[in-house]
Amino acid sequence: MAAVREALLKRLRVNATSLSLLRNPKPSLNGLFALTFNAVHRRFSDDVMGSFLDKSEVTDRVVSVVKNFQKVDPSKGFWIAISLYRCPIMLGNRYFRKKKKKENEEVTPNAHFQNDLGLDSLDTVEVVMALEEEFGFEIPDNEADKISTINHAVEFIASHPQAK
Amino acid sequence: MNIRCFQRNFSSALPPLVPIQLPSPRETHFWYILPDEVKSVALLNRYSELLSPCERENVNRMSGDQLKKRALLARALVRTTIARYQTNCEINPRSLKFKKNIYGKPEVEWHKDDNFSPPPLHFNISHTSSMIACGVTINAPIGIDVEEKQRKLKNDIIAFAQRYFSPYEIKLLTSISDPEVRRQEFIKLWTLKEAYVKALGKGFSAMPFKTFTIQFRTSTLRRFHLPGNSVSEASEVIVEASNDPGNLTNNCLVALLEVAGSHYAAICVENDEIVRGEANTPMKLTVRKTIPFVEDVCVSGTDAVLPLRGKIEQ
Repeated sequence: MAAVREALLKRLRVNATSLSLLRNPKPSLNGLFALTFNAVHRRFSDDVMGSFLDKSEVTDRVVSVVKNFQKVDPSKGFWIAISLYRCPIMLGNRYFRKKKKKENEEVTPNAHFQNDLGLDSLDTVEVVMALEEEFGFEIPDNEADKISTINHAVEFIASHPQAK
Repeated sequence: MNIRCFQRNFSSALPPLVPIQLPSPRETHFWYILPDEVKSVALLNRYSELLSPCERENVNRMSGDQLKKRALLARALVRTTIARYQTNCEINPRSLKFKKNIYGKPEVEWHKDDNFSPPPLHFNISHTSSMIACGVTINAPIGIDVEEKQRKLKNDIIAFAQRYFSPYEIKLLTSISDPEVRRQEFIKLWTLKEAYVKALGKGFSAMPFKTFTIQFRTSTLRRFHLPGNSVSEASEVIVEASNDPGNLTNNCLVALLEVAGSHYAAICVENDEIVRGEANTPMKLTVRKTIPFVEDVCVSGTDAVLPLRGKIEQ
């Protein structure tokens, strides 16, 4: 493991153009290689200037995390599947499609977790956890407490050099 | 939802709020409303009339009818509940003012008057999409939290616990093999931790969940049963601060119930009189289901209230 890391470090120090690869490691990497890769990436981040993520990219990713979070409703999933089975026409049903579209439309950058998206305290903590997984760094509790809108999350993440 | 001007002749036909005696020290009143049972638009309009303009604006700012209704009922429940505790004079629910303490916890702002001595009333609310609850005490800060029993976590429970709960609690949850039982125990722990933080009133960040542990303990102390009272035999709930293990910061009465067969409700009341480590005083609890101006039902001791943890006297 140490030998692999050593070998990689030596290689990467020589080849400066591979930095761009480091900043955005492919999500398809998994296992041991990715662990080593990320360890090296973190070492380099400290030295590299301007390693903050671009705000509009962060916004897109945060909105996407929250949209996916809302979609995964385990208690409803089963019944939607059943109702779809019984009513195949629902898929083509304009009302059904409109309703689904509306639910996702509410997830805008200005959306307030509680007032617009109807999330309670447990939901909000779950969203913070999902954001931590997405951006690869831990959000401390005192900061998480202040995140009540998508924009708050974006501001915080975009201003953190540890965000990936 | 249409907030129309309500008709005065209709409102005078509604019965006034049923007055209630203030809770005695160490007594907790727990009020709850089931939003699905409140369908009358006229009644919702009546509730809307009780709100301050600022509160009404906040309600209207919510997206969608369901969220608006929930916000409206929450404010209406708080105002009507507090107004019931008449002391020297009748309190109009509409005239109550609220403020937030320096940490953001809502409190009643009593008007300063020589003739009027405000009751040392504490309250706290919590809501889910299907229940709104308000806890009331005298002289003691209170925190409550309600959650639907069937609530499922989107993240993996153990991963979530490892991120936010204390080592003792993680171990407890990990040791449960049945996923459904584990899920239920998780929800119970969550509500208890929320209620504790809300009772302290300093916010989530002042008391991160990882820094304290909820423990269940079966007490071996004898309890005295007064005739007519039912004292729960369920185990005691202890809260221990992680940075001071072994030193029980148990200055709280903590209880967990199942309410209306559908929700877990956790109640935490700060109590300075409890001698450290000897919390042998049960929480005297009165639970009422209400639709303000329509009906109030005391459900303590019925199937609607099932004590789960903590010493509860109904």
